[in-house]
Amino acid sequence: MKQDFIKFPLHLLMHPFDGFWDLKYDGKGKVRVALVLLALVVISVILQNQYAGFLVNYNDPRHLNSITQLLTIVFPFFLWCVSNWAITTLMDGEGKFKEIVMATGYALVPIVLIYLPMTVASRFMVEEETAFYYLLLSISSIWFAALLFVGTMTVHQYTVLKTVVTMVLTVIVMGIIVFLGTLVLSMMQQIYEFIVNIYREIIFRT
Amino acid sequence: MAAKKWLLSIAAASLLFVHAAPPPASASSTPYESYNYNYWEEAVPAPAAYIPDRSISGVDLGIGDFLEPSDMVAADSGLIYIVDSGNGRIVCIDDKWNVRNIFNGFDNEGKADGFKNPSGLFVDGEGNLYVADTDNGRIVVLSKEGDLLKIIDQPKSDILAADFKFVPLKVAVDKARRVYVVARGIYEGIMQFDGIGEFIGYVGTNKVQRDYTEYVWRLLSTKAQKAQMVLFIPTEFSNIDMDSKGFVYATNIDPDSREPVKRLNPSGEDVLKRFGYFDVSGDIRFRIAVGPSKLIDVKVLENGMYSVLDANQGRVFTYSDEGDLLYIYGGKGNQTGTFKTPVAIERIGDKQLVLDRGRSQIVVFKPTKFGSSVNEAVKLHYNGEDKLAVPVWEEVLRMNGNYDIAYIGIGKSLLMEKRNGEALAYFKLGMDRDGYTVAYKRYRRELLKEHFGTVLTVLLVIAAAWAAFKLTNSWRRKRTVIMSGFAPQNVKEDKAP
Repeated sequence: MKQDFIKFPLHLLMHPFDGFWDLKYDGKGKVRVALVLLALVVISVILQNQYAGFLVNYNDPRHLNSITQLLTIVFPFFLWCVSNWAITTLMDGEGKFKEIVMATGYALVPIVLIYLPMTVASRFMVEEETAFYYLLLSISSIWFAALLFVGTMTVHQYTVLKTVVTMVLTVIVMGIIVFLGTLVLSMMQQIYEFIVNIYREIIFRT
Repeated sequence: MAAKKWLLSIAAASLLFVHAAPPPASASSTPYESYNYNYWEEAVPAPAAYIPDRSISGVDLGIGDFLEPSDMVAADSGLIYIVDSGNGRIVCIDDKWNVRNIFNGFDNEGKADGFKNPSGLFVDGEGNLYVADTDNGRIVVLSKEGDLLKIIDQPKSDILAADFKFVPLKVAVDKARRVYVVARGIYEGIMQFDGIGEFIGYVGTNKVQRDYTEYVWRLLSTKAQKAQMVLFIPTEFSNIDMDSKGFVYATNIDPDSREPVKRLNPSGEDVLKRFGYFDVSGDIRFRIAVGPSKLIDVKVLENGMYSVLDANQGRVFTYSDEGDLLYIYGGKGNQTGTFKTPVAIERIGDKQLVLDRGRSQIVVFKPTKFGSSVNEAVKLHYNGEDKLAVPVWEEVLRMNGNYDIAYIGIGKSLLMEKRNGEALAYFKLGMDRDGYTVAYKRYRRELLKEHFGTVLTVLLVIAAAWAAFKLTNSWRRKRTVIMSGFAPQNVKEDKAP
């Protein structure tokens, strides 16, 4: 338990190549850990939006909605996983879908580790010190991106260049999926309207 | 579900654009809806600050209707001068609305001379009249009694084009008797003349904003196409006023400008304070079809406040010296208190006057309790008596709990009294992050100083406890290590023989 949820993610944080290797080949990664990490990210972002100090919190409290925030994190997460899986299957990636989810999930660790303490710290900051707040938040994002990069590279056994290309393509595929999704949705609506109209027509004629 | 959400968000977004005008204020006795903008740039209903008192036309004064009046000045003496452009006269009335004088013309070196479509007027401290005699292309300076003092004619200068035509529209004069003129077709800024009427130069040019789509178009088009395009020139100023310190307040009607109001120092730099939440530019939310505010007049009030008049929506926006939007009143319409074509705004005592060219009348507005409380509080704050301003701000808050400036005002006063903890709450309510950070810095230092001893003691105790824990731990471990070290040895020793 402690090994899975605390020790291994922290080890992976500092030794990403080693960690992701263990995750893939030594079976040290667990999907449930990845999902818990995702949930923690959602919680820490919600907490940050709600409770970050007045000087750094520019959110309008009337428009904060935890469900929306949940969706804006969980939906892109799985969208990334699916797109990455779709692309890497075509590009000789060695990763399974499960491994992609794990790699992406474990890469979220720095966000969890930095957002929560910074939310607390920001409440005790004055204007000049908020620079540190923003600095640490950017560090967490960069760290996340770096981990994601190493994760993708290790899980699929890619070269650096191929990883970069794959990641760019993944983002493009994410866009395509969203586009197709909306397209299908609007088509379905039209079909539904069409059927309803036919039904009405028949009802009125008889 | 997702589609519904989409639709909803689109509907909400379109509401933002369509419904940018203020929501209707309930039970309003004014012919316009009173509102103000909050920190989130939403128009929020607010109590009316000024309500229409009466309207006065030329007929009411017994001098026949005004014809297209275009300017109005309230002199320091309390007299009100109206530039009755269509009739080519200047009407002087006192604050009891009796006609004192009518200037139809003047005696120009023995010959009777008159005005031709005058459109601007300024009255200096001594009561001399500076008339922008537009169609005659000159500035006429008259004494209080109407005797000609001076005429500023078409200026001659190297920097003026040969075919330059002087068409003065608005005029202002500073204490050093420099004359500032807004003239038609002059893009270089405000024309400045010295005391004897010599042209000195321009002050305060409006900057041209670069439009990047236009820039790309230009790159793609041929020379012939470029010649066909509109030339981008700075916009003209629409009006000027002079404050007591000799700074020129000027407005322009550039719809894209974020700084349509300027306060120019003697070297022509814009020194207007813009510390409010948003730009000093009238309405910040508007229907796209209606467009932004078109500021055509500015009046400097006492205590650093100034009012600007928006011809587009017929509204008057009053700002404090720090650029906070204090209140908004007026609107377009046919009732008393709304305007057809407002052209000038003036102040007499605590009342404000708006000249409506379209209906040829003056509308008098008197402050409500809310309006006068705000004025009073701003005055006290401006004069540095923040502590006295607190009860007034509290009164304002009783009438309008959404009035952010009042929270900030109270916060500032508490900050000065070193009641930092209380100030924090007020700055947070007023969404003033700068004030908050100052208050918080002091509050934090205070807390640390106050509890330094306790904190240090607790820290020491914790450190001691931790050290003790570590010591006992290592001692215990050593013992077990020694014990376990001994045990196998003993076993070995036992086994050895």
